[in-house]
This record gives sequence, structure tokens and C-alpha cells, in this order.
Amino acid sequence: MVSKIKLESLGVYLPEKVITMEELLAACRHRPSLDLERITGVHERRVAEGEYAADLASKAALRALAMSRYQAAELDVIVCTSISKHNAPDEFSFEPATAVLVRKAVGASNAIVFDVVNACAGMLTGIYILQGLIRSGAARRGMVVSGEQNLPLAWTATREVRHSLDGQLAALTLGDCGAAVILDESSDPRYGFHWLDLVTGAKHDHYCYSRPSARGHGGILITKARGLQIKGNQHFPFYFKQALDGSGWSVDDVQHIIPHQVSVRAIKTGTKALKRFLGVEMPDYFLCCAEKYGNTTTTSHFLALHEFMLRGRIHRNENVVLVSGASGIVISHATFTLDDLPDRYRMHLAHEVQS
Amino acid sequence: MRRCRIESLGVSQPGRTLLRKGALTHALTAGRRCLKASHYHPNDVRVLINTGVHRDGHVCEPAIAAYIQHHLKINVEFQGRRTLAFDLLNGACGMLNGMHLLTSLMQAQEIYAGMIISSEANSDRRPDPGYRFPASGAAALLDLSPKNDVGFGAFAFHTNERQAELVTSTVSLATKGGHLLWREQAGLEAAYLAGASPAVASVLAKDDLRLDDIDLVIPAQISAQFLEQLPHTLGIAPERVLDLTATLPDTHSTSVLLALKQAQDAGRLPPKTKAVLIAFGSGVTVAAATYHF
Repeated sequence: MVSKIKLESLGVYLPEKVITMEELLAACRHRPSLDLERITGVHERRVAEGEYAADLASKAALRALAMSRYQAAELDVIVCTSISKHNAPDEFSFEPATAVLVRKAVGASNAIVFDVVNACAGMLTGIYILQGLIRSGAARRGMVVSGEQNLPLAWTATREVRHSLDGQLAALTLGDCGAAVILDESSDPRYGFHWLDLVTGAKHDHYCYSRPSARGHGGILITKARGLQIKGNQHFPFYFKQALDGSGWSVDDVQHIIPHQVSVRAIKTGTKALKRFLGVEMPDYFLCCAEKYGNTTTTSHFLALHEFMLRGRIHRNENVVLVSGASGIVISHATFTLDDLPDRYRMHLAHEVQS
Repeated sequence: MRRCRIESLGVSQPGRTLLRKGALTHALTAGRRCLKASHYHPNDVRVLINTGVHRDGHVCEPAIAAYIQHHLKINVEFQGRRTLAFDLLNGACGMLNGMHLLTSLMQAQEIYAGMIISSEANSDRRPDPGYRFPASGAAALLDLSPKNDVGFGAFAFHTNERQAELVTSTVSLATKGGHLLWREQAGLEAAYLAGASPAVASVLAKDDLRLDDIDLVIPAQISAQFLEQLPHTLGIAPERVLDLTATLPDTHSTSVLLALKQAQDAGRLPPKTKAVLIAFGSGVTVAAATYHF
């Protein structure tokens, strides 16, 4: 049986257009009196124009394939984990699965395809599933991909937010992005995923939900941000420590922690909760790029990995912990050691820019 | 590698009731019946997958599986034993995708028991006339089989993405509350039939079986006309293809399990029976699995 899987390739697609928090707040019919930029730390985010969730996913998938040693036809599985299945204006698509559209776009003619939806923990859930398929021998390699076109939820919020405590305020922190990872068996036990664990505390399923608006057109995202944060911070440090213990690591063995990029403040609060639980001082392990890209939901961990590999902060042989809290509430942790992926990634993108 | 089996089944049948039941109600009815018939405690369920496509209020977050987990009281708090709940969407083939995943997770020794639930309902006040599926629910609890010759044999999925536009299900967000639109084009059943042969041939080859070894084909109950053509397409005698369309309409993602339950209740699946389960869905995808009873 295969013992470990590893990140073989990464692809991230960011739309070019930037929209700032100030521009979004200025578009609100009833501008909230709160200084949302100061509170969340989100300054700007990318917005897709003329392209939809499936396009973002397909472009990220093509980028991941471009630096992979595998051809599209060699992929055994494609799992698409987008929440925002907006594939046309004012439309949400259930069928066909977005993974079918990605398979068509990249030419992965031999891949089993399906969608997985587990809120912001989607990509980690996809990796957990793919790990099971690879370890059982049902697949040799596969792709987990997500395209998030979240701005339609933000535009609804600009129409419907009425006051500073409105449940739709968190939708104003969202951003668009596509991300894809290709995973295969790790031939060296030092590299790859050491721990991958997800747990749903379904008693708390009411803190965040998304559905069509009852007041007008478009979809809405309702978040009880404070409650979600309190519950998450109450429980995630225990699972974090369990992930370290299960990986045979102490805090000193960790080089980077990539939390779900909800907001800069949420990450700082989470850091404090973790320090309190562990009872140790921790250096600046937490990587945050929410100020630049906002909350890109399922893609946020891999967008951060992309960003900090390009900034030269993440290197080979380093240990990384992914931490996710998602509506449900889903708490998930993954620990892995990077092989030469950061070097290959930087080299590939530099080569792409030159050409 | 050890086989994985269906340890218990529960269904919520389609049918007219005084009050219209939603997708969650059907899922919970099926789930409770499945857990009641099971030897496992609800807290033994390590992974809960919802494969229903159409849901109440067109909710897209959180996973509907989390609501189901909450109402079925399966490890709802973080302390103690744990459950992961998520949705898997692949049209009417999602149920077999979910079973394939649970089988893989068990064979990879990640879990020892998992549950799959599917339900379908259109919650619109004035449903789209194209939407033709009566509301229903189905659930199955899977575990590692105690016997080597009982359980799932193999899975195969055949997708023809060039025909993906033949069937679509979307929620129009142009109106308050959204409106579900189901669109089927002519030629869909022909596309299903075209995918059936390669999917069945592939699953039989993976399980080292021949078509003659199969006692019963349990397909999704697409339509009477479709099930008349299926035996001819597969090259199998019509009496070996389960046709319940006289009493059981097509119920989308729950159809295969509803048919399986009826066959089981009718005593058509004695020990040593070898069956092929087939689902047909958007993509266009045909999913097949062999099962040894």
C-alpha cells in the first residue's frame, strides 16, 4: 500500500482586475459605518470579469499541468471543490459537475471526475479523498482543483447590507481565484503529507450559510463571524496539537503555518488562541496574504503557498501546517514536508515570464 | 484487498403525502431507517457523504451533509469520536462515486465504517415543468466485509464530456429565492445507452467477470422505454435486468438504491448473487459497480 502522497504540482490563476475595499464599500447602497478595512485587514482582492468559476478552475488546472511531469491524459481522478458554481451571470450550476468541465478543458480523458463541496475546507477534503484513492490503489495520481468566483456574493451584499452588524458584511471580504494541485505517491518518506485530518462539528452548522437571496436577485453569504471565530478558536488548537503529535513534530519543527485566509484579524486572533493553548511563544510562523487577495474560500491555502513560494519565504525541506476552519463547522489540519516543489515552481514561473 | 459491503440500507420512498416533504426530511427518514437496520451505532460513522443534488432552498454552503449529521446526532460536537461530513456532486452517478470513495477509504484503512445519503426534492413553490423527479431519499451504511466473497467487486465510470450540454441543472438567481431549471436535450437516453456498454465491460474486466456470470443488472429506473433497450445494448437477457418502472419512477441520484432495496425486499438477491449496479447521469457519465451478495 502507498504510504504517503505528496504535492507534485501547483497551479494558481488570479484574475487581473483588482478591486479595493474602498471601491466595494463605495458601491454599497447603505454604506456600513464600520471601518471594514481596518477591522478585517483586507485592502483589495481580484475580481473575474468575463470568466466564470469553471474558467478559473480550468486555467489553474492548465497551469498545474504545465509544470507537472504528468500529461492530462495520465490523471486518474479530478476532484473539483468549488463552492461558487457560477458558470453564467446570475446562475448557479448543479449539473454537470464542474469537474466535467475541467476534464473537457484540459483533455483529461481518462480521469474519474466529480465535485466535492465542503465549504472552505473543500480543497483539503479533496486531498483527503484523493489520498484514500491513491493509498488504496484505486488511483495513481490525481488533481484537486477549485475555481472560486465569489464576487457575485459581494455584489449582492453591496445591494443588501443595511447596517454595520449585517450578516452579509463578511461577503465584502471575498475575492476570486483558481487553484489546482496534482498529487501522487511520495517515493521518499521524508516528503509529502504526514497528517491529514478533518472533523465536522455539525452542532455548529448555523454560523455560516449561502443560498439565493430572498430579497432580490443573486446569492447571499450570511456569516455570524464572531460566533464562528469563537467556536473555531475554542476547538482548533486541540486538533492542531494532535496534528503535530501525529506527525512526530514539536512546535520547533514547524517552519510555516498557513491558515485559511479569512481576514488578517481572524488569523491574528487564531494565533493568540493557539499560543494560549500550547503555552509557548511562537515565532512568526503564520503566513497571511488576505490583505492583498481577500478571502478566496477553498483556494486560500494554495494561493498563500503560491504567494510565499514566489516571495522566496518557503523553501524545500521545510515543514508546513495547513489549518482550516470552515462553515459546518469543519476543522481541518494537514502537515507536510516540501520536496523541491518551491524551487521548481519559482523556476517554472520565471521561465513562463521570460517566454 | 478486503471487500467493502453494504451493511444496511434505508429508503424514503417517493409518493404523495399531505405535506410536501423536503430533501432534508427525505434524507433524515432514509438515514434513520438505515441506522436502525444497522448493527453500528451512529457515532461509528467516520465519514458521512451526501450525494443528493437538489436541496431545500438551493443552499450551497455549508455541506448539506453537515445538516444531516446534526439531525442524525452523529458525533455533533468536537469532543470525543469524530465524523467528517461533506457533499459529493456528480448528478445521478454521485451515489456510486460516494460508494467508490468509501470503499477506497476503508481499503486504505482510513476508516472502518461510512455512510452515504442521497435525497432529491425541488423546493420551488412553482417548480420548473421540466423537473420530473419525485422527492425521495436513500441511505446506505458501508463497512469492511467480514467475508472475502461478499461485497463490492469493482467500480467503473465512463464520461463523455463532449455531450455535457445534453443535461443541465441550474438555479437561476435572477428571481428571489432562486428557481431550479432542469434542461434535457433529445438524445440523452441514447447517450446513456452509448456509455452503458463500455462502463459495464470495464467493471466486469476489473472484477474478472464475464457478462454470463451476472445474475441481475440493477439500473437506475430511467424509463420503461430505456430499460427495454438496455438489455439489448448490454447483450443480456431482459429478465436479468431489473425493471421496476411500473411502480418506481426515476428518482435521480436515489434511483439505484431504491431499486436495490425493492429487489432485496422481493427476495431477488439471495446469497451468491452477482449483480451490476448502473447509474446514468449528467456529464454524460455512466457509473457501474459489481456487487457479490
